[in-house]
Amino acid sequence: MSGRLSQGLYHAVLWLVALVFFAPVFWIVLSSFKTASQILAVPPLLVFRPTLANYARLFAQPAFEHHFFNSVVLSVLAVLIAVAVSFLAAFAFSRFRPGATNFLMFLLLSIRMLPGSAAILPVYLMYVAFGWKDSYIWMTLFYAMFSIPFSVWILKGFIDGVSPRFDETGIVNGASWLSIIARLTFPQVLPGVVAALIFNFIFVWNEFLFNYIIGGINTANIPVLLATNLSHGGGIDWTFLSSLTTVYILPPIIAVYFFQRFLLVGMTFGTVRGEV
Amino acid sequence: MSLAVSSRRPFASRHRSGLIAFFGRREVLPAVLICPVLLFFIVWDTIPTLWLLGLSFYRFSLTSGRPPIFSGLYNYTSILNDAETWFDLSRTFIFVLLAVGIETVAGMLLGLLFWRSDRLPGRRVALTLLFAPMVVTPVAAGTFWRLIYDPTFGILDWFIRSLGFAPVRFLSDANVAFSAVLAVDVWMWTPFMVLMALAALASVPKAELEAAEIDRLTWLQRFRLVILYHGKFILMLGILLRTIDAFKTMDLIFDMTYGGPGTATELVAMTLFRRAFEDFNMGSSSALAVILLLISIAFTVTFLYVLYLRERKAALA
Repeated sequence: MSGRLSQGLYHAVLWLVALVFFAPVFWIVLSSFKTASQILAVPPLLVFRPTLANYARLFAQPAFEHHFFNSVVLSVLAVLIAVAVSFLAAFAFSRFRPGATNFLMFLLLSIRMLPGSAAILPVYLMYVAFGWKDSYIWMTLFYAMFSIPFSVWILKGFIDGVSPRFDETGIVNGASWLSIIARLTFPQVLPGVVAALIFNFIFVWNEFLFNYIIGGINTANIPVLLATNLSHGGGIDWTFLSSLTTVYILPPIIAVYFFQRFLLVGMTFGTVRGEV
Repeated sequence: MSLAVSSRRPFASRHRSGLIAFFGRREVLPAVLICPVLLFFIVWDTIPTLWLLGLSFYRFSLTSGRPPIFSGLYNYTSILNDAETWFDLSRTFIFVLLAVGIETVAGMLLGLLFWRSDRLPGRRVALTLLFAPMVVTPVAAGTFWRLIYDPTFGILDWFIRSLGFAPVRFLSDANVAFSAVLAVDVWMWTPFMVLMALAALASVPKAELEAAEIDRLTWLQRFRLVILYHGKFILMLGILLRTIDAFKTMDLIFDMTYGGPGTATELVAMTLFRRAFEDFNMGSSSALAVILLLISIAFTVTFLYVLYLRERKAALA
């Protein structure tokens, strides 16, 4: 009996910890259902009559549609390109181990270890010189390039885990390398591909600095809208910001719920495997 | 003997001539496969980096409209002789040290707490809530923390005042702003260290824990001799990844304080941002970027070294 009680207490503590970490997020979600004066009320309101007016106003704004569309297109396209080319390279690195494998893997990783402003500075100079700023194509390609290191690292880990005997069997049975890659290896590393897609998507989705620097009014995504709306202009429109933020942070949180078993792989470049 | 070899040759392809055959050759194939990544890499990394390296030896400002003037090591010496650089760097390292330290300790404690949570009702939802801070858009997180920190209608300030303390201007008081930003970083990334701690704990063999219990090791001994012995590489990887990420902190600062008030929350990534995209002093900022590049390379090498150590240990075991 006391065992069950202590177990119940233990579980209550765990839920409390989870809720404490979620509280700031919850507060903004709550605020998005308030009117402007309710958001700024002192003392803060916990009980109130929720309104959907903020969302109605948000979805009616052409600026929201435009930037949200940008966020979706940039992240989906960049991630698909990145994972496709990374898969091929990861296969080559894993199976043929060309001479420069270790060095190239190191170079790839070092791109992601660099502070964002240092990574974007030379690209900015190049984009200005060639007139590539504020273009969908060049923005997508840059994001794709920035998603490659992570994808190659994750996918190489997964392909290393597939025995080369499958390849040998394939060759003996007369398969071409194309079908070995596409029909033998790919299905077995599908979890890795999904993990690479999801976590690169979250990265590009949340990315602000690069878009701010090499983008413009055409290609700006929602994080740019969020950040510039804050730092410029006097009064802050909290109803707009809270509803926009709520809509925008939903996809990554949903992704964590559905792909929780990839969280560890996704947050560690594939260097730590397992589930929590 | 081999069962896999069937006479049907299920993968036999119909086209075995010309280009496909050429690309399929073992000497050619790896190059073909790596080619697209290499192309991306050369256009968006190698060329820009060489450009950056070159420009760091020139005096060049985008606003002046004059062509770059070669100035040798001038940019580097002026950065290294500038006291402000060292203030920014030391502020950044203090930030990294405090953030990673607090997150590691808190993450390990919470990881131990969540270790036996297998039968927690609604575990998946609870963990999603717990891990949410690290996938939330950093710029958005900055936004709502500004609402929470607001000195007139923020919930935190209301809480402090209702306890009878003087109101705190979290983000505009130079003495508090650094801690306020640090606190947000801790909130965002402690869940990551919880994740790493859980991974480390999961790598400990059950049998050894049971043996330790039978041998009546104290909790501290169990932690040191069994858990740390097996989990240390995963923890080290976690700490390193977090160190690198904390060193890069930028979005949060941009949104919450923009480096201010004064230079209270100015971390190097922000300094570089200002120098490059506010002052457009490209020569000097290139030199600073090269210095940051060298620091990041040092981090990367350390990370790879720990990976290598882990692999070697796994190979010996």
